[in-house]
Amino acid sequence: MGAVHAKSLDPLPMHGRDLGVSPDDLVETPELEQEAKQEILENKDVVVQHVNIQGLGRTKEDLLGYEISEVFNARNLIDVMKKAHVARQRLLRLGIFKEVEVLIDTSEGADALPNGLDVIFEVTEIKRLTGSYNTMVGNNEGSMVLGLKLPNMFGRAEKLTFQFSYGTKETSYGLSFFKPQPGHFERNFTLNMYKVTGQFPWSSLKETDRGVSAELNFPLGVTSHTLKWEGVWRELGCLARSASFAVREESGHSLKSALSHTVSIDSRNSAIFPSRGALLRINQELAGYTGGDASFLKEDFELQLNRRLFWDSVLSASLWGGMLYPIGGQPTCIADKFYLGGPTSVRGFGMYSIGPQSEGDYLGGEAYWAGGLHLYTPLPFRPGKGGFGDLFRTHFFLNAGNLCNLNYGEGPQAHLQKLAECIRWSYGAGIVLRLGNIARLELNYCVPMGVQSGDRICDGVQFGAGIRFL
Amino acid sequence: MSLAAEAFVSQIAAAEPWPENATLYQPLKEDQILLSDCASSLAVQAYLRMCGLPVQVVGRANAEYMSPSGKIPFIHVGKQVVSELGPIVQFTKAKGHSLSDGLDDVQRAEMKAYMELVNNMLLTAELYIQWCDNATAAEISRPRYSSPYSRPLSYILAYQKQWEVRRKMNAIGWGGKTLEQVYEDVSQCCQALSQRLGTQPYFFNKQPTELDALVFGHLFTILTTPLTNTELAERIKSYSNLLSFCRRIEQTYFEDKSS
Amino acid sequence: MATPDELFCWEGDWGLPSVSTDCLVVLEISIISVGLKSQDQTTVEEKAYAQFAGAPLKLRKMSNPWRSPSGSLPALRIHQKETLSRPSDIIIHLRKQKYNADYDLSAKEGADSLAFISLMEEKLMPALIYVFWIEPKNYVDVTRRWYAEHMPFPLNFFLPGRMQRRQMEKLRLLRGDESLEAGEEVEKELYHDAVECMNLLSQRLGSQKFFFGDSPSSLDAYVFGHLAPILKSKLPNGKLQQHLKSLDNLTNFCTNILLLYFPRDGRENSNQKPLVQHDSGDFDHVPNKRRKQFLSALVALGAMVSYALLTGMVSIQHIQQEALEEPPDLQAIEEEGDG
Repeated sequence: MGAVHAKSLDPLPMHGRDLGVSPDDLVETPELEQEAKQEILENKDVVVQHVNIQGLGRTKEDLLGYEISEVFNARNLIDVMKKAHVARQRLLRLGIFKEVEVLIDTSEGADALPNGLDVIFEVTEIKRLTGSYNTMVGNNEGSMVLGLKLPNMFGRAEKLTFQFSYGTKETSYGLSFFKPQPGHFERNFTLNMYKVTGQFPWSSLKETDRGVSAELNFPLGVTSHTLKWEGVWRELGCLARSASFAVREESGHSLKSALSHTVSIDSRNSAIFPSRGALLRINQELAGYTGGDASFLKEDFELQLNRRLFWDSVLSASLWGGMLYPIGGQPTCIADKFYLGGPTSVRGFGMYSIGPQSEGDYLGGEAYWAGGLHLYTPLPFRPGKGGFGDLFRTHFFLNAGNLCNLNYGEGPQAHLQKLAECIRWSYGAGIVLRLGNIARLELNYCVPMGVQSGDRICDGVQFGAGIRFL
Repeated sequence: MSLAAEAFVSQIAAAEPWPENATLYQPLKEDQILLSDCASSLAVQAYLRMCGLPVQVVGRANAEYMSPSGKIPFIHVGKQVVSELGPIVQFTKAKGHSLSDGLDDVQRAEMKAYMELVNNMLLTAELYIQWCDNATAAEISRPRYSSPYSRPLSYILAYQKQWEVRRKMNAIGWGGKTLEQVYEDVSQCCQALSQRLGTQPYFFNKQPTELDALVFGHLFTILTTPLTNTELAERIKSYSNLLSFCRRIEQTYFEDKSS
Repeated sequence: MATPDELFCWEGDWGLPSVSTDCLVVLEISIISVGLKSQDQTTVEEKAYAQFAGAPLKLRKMSNPWRSPSGSLPALRIHQKETLSRPSDIIIHLRKQKYNADYDLSAKEGADSLAFISLMEEKLMPALIYVFWIEPKNYVDVTRRWYAEHMPFPLNFFLPGRMQRRQMEKLRLLRGDESLEAGEEVEKELYHDAVECMNLLSQRLGSQKFFFGDSPSSLDAYVFGHLAPILKSKLPNGKLQQHLKSLDNLTNFCTNILLLYFPRDGRENSNQKPLVQHDSGDFDHVPNKRRKQFLSALVALGAMVSYALLTGMVSIQHIQQEALEEPPDLQAIEEEGDG
């Protein structure tokens, strides 16, 4: 489906810049001061002579060399400790060690310098194979999820994961292979193979996707990029016999082969409750040139700005927008279109229930925009401050947006005008709960405004959960 | 749908007259449609023409998946979607159009029985020849069936369909039959139809019924569709009254309207 | 014809010569056709059974499909080697042996016969599969129970379930619905078709004795084979049975054929009816129950013992033994110390 709703819970990439180490000048200053080793070394220059990693089994040492090389550049004890800490974080980030402990000791042995230090990392590797088992109960469906993971498959932080979900109605699976470049964990390559099924009651549509994808992630300056090719066999069908004819017409099989590119700049201090920083993500997808039945160009962006105000309150502004251009005169598929509305986008409206519809089934649109203005404050009287209470925020919001189809040929002026007509907007207040660092729950009181006929509204209390939110 | 709701819907259906924009959907005529689907679609078209109900025929590559029962053809009338001849006959009857009102109980029983004979033997034989005869499947059925799709998907869908039909054939006991036995069944069926028709213009004398539409749809399609060999058509050609029956319906209901 | 052909069929019950529709059809056709060939003027039944016992066919009723040469029932073994398992093949074989049940039919009657057989296969058969194998209460209370009780020991645990899965798959393929499950919607559609089919058959039969006048044909065998199980079985969900009973001519038609051609089964049933019920009440039922009770007790006992062994009852016993053995020594030492 469209970009506005995220389909999978992809693990969010760790933020590279927080851990990135600025390249120090490699100026070796061997100052041979004859001082007793018992002397306090705090502000004195030191030389890191040896860095050892103990407890390695199948991990290749060349991989770790890149991660810990910075420690050699430290020139005083504080620096050594800082850099050792950074190195420890970098090692843990590889996801191949259960524990990493750092020992700093004075050098011993024949070649030991008086101010020489040895840094020892004691690591415990994760088991060769880990498994998980879950049961899930959803609406009218129960499923069993089996997961298998082979971390550090070939000794260089490669990871193979397999997930199989056996449900009462549908089965799905995913197999993925992840390979980072040694020394540059942010540059990595992923291969995926999957089958997923989704039901979209707002469109009376069910979709089964079977596909393969290859993905390349790499940072470039302050931006991070993702290049992806995806080949997917999509099977669409009506969820019920009573589905509208417009949805019925979309039923059947299609093959999509698409190249996509995502660039993002994220300077926020937290993904869920940021108090400062900004996020810009631009995504573009080109389908059809590499084969398949679907051909279109899809552009999509997301912008979020955060600013801290008085008393720990935060003002946050976001803007989303996107456009889908069909190529070659083919109409676009309902599964590629954009959808808008719901408790994490334009609040006060039903889930993806804005815009073109037919007999109560929402058909999505080819262009959309949505904007939001939020004022986040801590809970009144700050119960549970510094602990449980910090998982919650109250917020006041003003959301607006529009979604429509574009009749290509009218020119850009007409398009802009169309998007500016009949704007849906809503305001309200509510409580937000953070779930880990990836998702959040919201309970809001909403007042939808600018409602157009055919929209499904949710006037009053609305509950929602999501990983992406306006 | 509950009984009450169904009754309500059929009431609405009865209340609404047949609209001008009624549409019949089938797979793409030139490149995609297969013998069995074409026959079923022609049967429905013949039936609607006999009733004097206008319908526009539209080809869609995904017609099979659009159909609520997964079977070809289906009609879209007003807000309702009805697939296959049997339900379509019911549907038009609810709107006050019927061809079999003049029959007595025994005749109606016989008409239904002969319709099932056509479905049970002719349609199954068509499916068998399309998907279980390796030459026909490789030269005609698989390429045509998968023509709207791109490369890897076209193979998958064609073999998936073939596998499904073969499983069905095994389930109904046709799996072990040889092609010759299937042709023999077709002959037997045609023999029965020919006997029943005798020298009458239609199966129940002067007026056509849905049985005539169904028989016409299948026989005419078999006679006019080229296959890897002409054996199937030859089997029908040996019954001269069936041939003239097909010609009669074609002339009465199809030719004068197109000219 | 040195060795007679052998016909393998499911056993009968509920006053029927066999519980399976296919077997009933084949059986009935064999009897009619064999009976027709010998044109003696004795009563049809005696002649049929005489023929059966004699040269052309040897009937074997059984409740173990694995003892059939094809692994399924019905089956016809010809000259001890070739085996036919599809009813249509068996009928064609009989026809080739000049045992043709439709010998007396005109060409038009033959055509009608073919049409009505198709009608039943398309409209009645799916409902029959549903009623006996898919409808959960019927399957558990009657079908599975009957097969489980009649099959020999290890087979009765898995064969009924396997047969049920096959029937389910068959119904799914017939209906073209991969995810078909027992339910009100499906039941309604299937019953609608079946009821319509019964009505049509009833209208076609009218007040005649058989479908084509006074002598039976293969169509009569098919109708009997499809309707008799519905009529005679005691299913908890008996909507079709109720409807069939309201069609007097079809009900009479079935009982008539039973009396004419399978008097032994019918008589057995009527004679033993109270007895059979007694059987199932006291004799037949209780030993089974006892066996089950005994088995479950055995299983429970086994589980308890193994649990006890696994969770350390043994070691407790061991400690107890040591405890029993050691105190005397200690006492002895203490006594020595005291002394």
